[in-house]
Amino acid sequence: MGYQVADLVNDDASLVSRRCWSDVGIYELEKLGIFGKSWLFLGHESQLPKAGDFVQAYMCETPIILSRGEDLKFHANINSCTHRGLPVCRADHGNTKRFVCPYHNWSYAVDGRLMTIPQESELARQPDKSLLGLKPVPRVESWRGLIFGSFDPHIEALETYLGDMRFYLDAFLDRFPGGIEFMGAPHRWVLNANWKLPVENQLGDVNHGAFLHSAIIPREAQSLIEKLGYSVVTRPGHGATFRLMPEDADVDDVAWGMEGMGGILGGEEVQEYLRELQASAPARVGDLRARMKGLTYGIYPNLSFLWSNASFKVSHPRGPGKVEYWSWAVVPAQAPEHIKQVLRTNYSSFFGPGGILEQEDSEVWVQQFKGSNIDFADDRPYFYGLGLGEEKAHPELPGLVSVTANEFYARHFFSRWRDELQAAEDAL
Amino acid sequence: MSSSSLSISAEDQRTLERFYFHEARLLDNRQYQQWLAMVSEDICYLMPARGNPLVDNGERGNEQMISVERELEDSASLGCPIREEGYIHLMLRVERAFKINSWSENPPARTRRLVGNIELMSRESHEWSVFSNFHLYYSRPGNDSVIYSGQRRDVLRVNADSFRIQSREVIMDYADIELPTLGLLF
Repeated sequence: MGYQVADLVNDDASLVSRRCWSDVGIYELEKLGIFGKSWLFLGHESQLPKAGDFVQAYMCETPIILSRGEDLKFHANINSCTHRGLPVCRADHGNTKRFVCPYHNWSYAVDGRLMTIPQESELARQPDKSLLGLKPVPRVESWRGLIFGSFDPHIEALETYLGDMRFYLDAFLDRFPGGIEFMGAPHRWVLNANWKLPVENQLGDVNHGAFLHSAIIPREAQSLIEKLGYSVVTRPGHGATFRLMPEDADVDDVAWGMEGMGGILGGEEVQEYLRELQASAPARVGDLRARMKGLTYGIYPNLSFLWSNASFKVSHPRGPGKVEYWSWAVVPAQAPEHIKQVLRTNYSSFFGPGGILEQEDSEVWVQQFKGSNIDFADDRPYFYGLGLGEEKAHPELPGLVSVTANEFYARHFFSRWRDELQAAEDAL
Repeated sequence: MSSSSLSISAEDQRTLERFYFHEARLLDNRQYQQWLAMVSEDICYLMPARGNPLVDNGERGNEQMISVERELEDSASLGCPIREEGYIHLMLRVERAFKINSWSENPPARTRRLVGNIELMSRESHEWSVFSNFHLYYSRPGNDSVIYSGQRRDVLRVNADSFRIQSREVIMDYADIELPTLGLLF
C-alpha cells in the first residue's frame, strides 16, 4: 500500500502518522530525500591521526571507508570493489597501505585510487585504472574535528549547514584544550526499531527521564533539569537541551564530567582535573557557555551527542524496522590516559548496549516500532502538539528557545523531514 | 591463553561446580539480592568490547594472527569496554530489578543458564582463577528469544567454606550486538 508524503505530517507537525516509522516506500524516499541530500557524520579526526589510518562508517546503509591519505587529507569512499562489488575492507579500523578485494585481488590505495589489477598483465589492453577507483563520497568536510560526508555534490558548506548549532557544539568541542577524542571502535547495537526514534530521543526529549527512567534517575535530578533547563532549535532538525547554571554555582555543579559515574567514583584526582578544565572554560568559550551544562544534542538527520554522558551516537537505518545504533565514549583529548579510562565510564555505565539507562530506551524504541505497525489505527497519528507555538527567540541564546517540556524540537524535525520527503516524491 | 588448567582433586572441582550451579540457579530464579551476597564489595566486573581488527600480515601462520585477545577492547586499552563496573553498578542493577518501572524487564525475562567447562587456571592461597563458559537462554513476551554465549574469567576469593567473586571478565561471543541488552548479570 503506497502512502503519499502529504498524508503523513500535518502543517504544524503536531500530528505524525504511524506510517512515517514503518512504511517501506517512505523509507525509500528517506534514502533519496534525506540521506542522499544531507551532511552525514563519518567520524572524528582523533580516530585518524596518521597517514594510512582508516575507520569504517555508514551513510544510511551505504558502507564507507573513512581514511587519511598520504597527503594527510581525509577521504571517504564507498567500500565496494569496482570489479564485482565486494567490500575491500573488513576491519573496523586500522592502518594500511592497501585495501585488497578478496575475489581477484584488485587493490586500492588508502585514498581509494585503484593501484593494481593482477590479471591485466596477461592481457593485450589494460583498462584505465584512473577511472576505476572506489567511488568517492563527493563532499567531505570537518567542523572542529567532526568529519561529515554528503552524497550531494551541490550541498551547502558544512559550516552553513550547521549554522547556529555551532554555538552549542563549540561549547563542548572547544571547551577543552586540544579538543576531544573518540575512544576506540563504536559500540554497534542492532535493534528492531526505526532510526528516527533514537534521534528524537536525543534531540530534545529529556522529559521521558522522569518517567521511563524513574527506577534509576532520582526525582530531584529531574526537577533541577526542569528548573534550569532550556531546549533550543537552531534550525529544524538541529537542537540542544542543556542547563544554564547560575553564575554563582559551585564549580562541582557546573564542570563537565562531574555528574557521571566516572566523575563520581573517580576520586580526588579525576575531580580536580575536571575542576581545572572548568576553570579554563570561560577563556575558551566565554562566560555564558562556560555555565552551560549540556544534556542532549541532535544534528540533522542522525547524529546525536549526549553531553551528560559523554557520548556521540549515530542512528544508522537498516530498513524501516531496523537500526544499527553506534555509540562512542568521548573524552578531553589531552587528559592523561588513566583519567580517560575513568571518564569513559560516564558513558558506559548508563548508555550503550550494556548501559543501565539505555536498556529502557532501547525497549521503548522497539515497542514504538511495533505500535507504528498495528492495523486499524491509521486515523490515530501520534500527537506531537505539546507546547505548540510556545518557543521564542532569546536575547543570548541563538535559535528558538523554550522549556524542555515543549516538543517543538520534534515538530521542527518532522516539518523538515516532511518537506524534504515531499521534494523527493515530487522529483520521482 | 594457551595455558592448561591445573590438575585438581575431584572434591575441589565439585566445590567449584556447586558454586557456579548455585549462582546460575539464583540468577535464573531472579534472586538477585542473594546473588549480590556472592560478590565481593571491591569487585571489578568487566565486559570488553569485541571488534574486528585488521589482520596483521606479519603474524601470518601464527596463532596470534586470529587470537580472541586481539579482538578485545579491555580495561587497559584506550578503547571502550562495554561494561567496567564495580559493586555500586551491580547494586544499582539489582535494586532496579525490584522496581516496577524497570520496563525492559517488566514482565521479567525467562532465563536459563547452563554453565560448563569449569577450569581452575591458577591458585594462589586464597585466590582461585577460574574460567567457565555459559549459554544463557533469554525469552521475553512479544520478543524473539535469544541465546547469549560467552566465557567468564573469574577470580574467586576463598571465603569460609565457599567463594566470593573478586573479579569477573565476561567475553561475549557476539559479532554484531543483535541482543536486547548486554546489561544482564552474566
